Amino acid sequence: MTPHRFTELAEAYGGDLQRWPSAERDAAQALLASGDSTLNAVLREASWLDGQLDGHQLPAVSPQLMRQIVADAREERSFWARSFSWLFGASFVGVGVAGIAAGILVASLTLPLAVEHEALPNVFDSGDGDVVFNLDAAEETPQ
Amino acid sequence: MNEPDPDVELLARIGHNEPAAIEEMVKRKLPRLLALASRLLGDAEEAKDVAQESFLRIWKHAADWRTGQARFDTWLHRVTLNLCHDRLRRRKAQPLADEDQTSELADTAPRPDEQLEAAAQSRQVADALAALPDRQREAIVLQYYQGLSNIEAAALLNISVEALESLLSRARRTLRNTLAAHRGDARPGGGQ
Repeated sequence: MTPHRFTELAEAYGGDLQRWPSAERDAAQALLASGDSTLNAVLREASWLDGQLDGHQLPAVSPQLMRQIVADAREERSFWARSFSWLFGASFVGVGVAGIAAGILVASLTLPLAVEHEALPNVFDSGDGDVVFNLDAAEETPQ
Repeated sequence: MNEPDPDVELLARIGHNEPAAIEEMVKRKLPRLLALASRLLGDAEEAKDVAQESFLRIWKHAADWRTGQARFDTWLHRVTLNLCHDRLRRRKAQPLADEDQTSELADTAPRPDEQLEAAAQSRQVADALAALPDRQREAIVLQYYQGLSNIEAAALLNISVEALESLLSRARRTLRNTLAAHRGDARPGGGQ
């Protein structure tokens, strides 16, 4: 550490060595302990500006803002929870509908045509039922 | 940078929907974020908006936070810094929006004399900070006021440590000259 580098650090980081880069702090402390009075003057000048900067006051954080941010967090997290529940519910319903449709398909392929209209769940409208019934009737009609 | 990130445990608790963890995060980070945004923007109301937006990002990412890249506090500074950049860009696009932005930081309630003097000095520092070029102001706010290491501050500004030191030196020189003029050059060796 040279006096020139010491001055550079003070001009950049201020008069408190704790704010200086940790890798150069010990060397700066050792140089300061050597008794060079110009270095103390450098630190005093940098510390004067530190004192001025510390005088910059900010308003205290308002409890209202804190409450608002906490409320935002709860809303945000409940939004994602609701979205997740909705997606989970929608997928559950989707699986159920797919299962019913598969059941209908299996039933329609395996049951005898004559009893098909009885075996079908009540998910078709009556028009579809009539078509099935009429087809049955047509097949049984002697030519 | 090898030290454990002090915020990771709290983030995990937020990920598990602990209401107390949310409140603790707000208490821990809000003053820091508000100070950062206030000093960069010089506008208390805009700083509050930025702080709220920053926290929305926290809530979105808390559950997925992974250690190993940046410290959470550094990431949070980047988020806030970017939000401030957006607002500063918009402000430059509308330069006549408001002339006296820093005045909103001052409390106008009546005070005893000493507090009045402290408030006046605070205003002078705020004005001096506001008059700095953006990059110099960011450097001094991140390094001096936010207490970030030189490596963290340089990384946030996307510059080398040497470039950061150059920005800091120029900022401090300008601030020293401006504030010394206000104080009748009362600094050590300043000729009073």
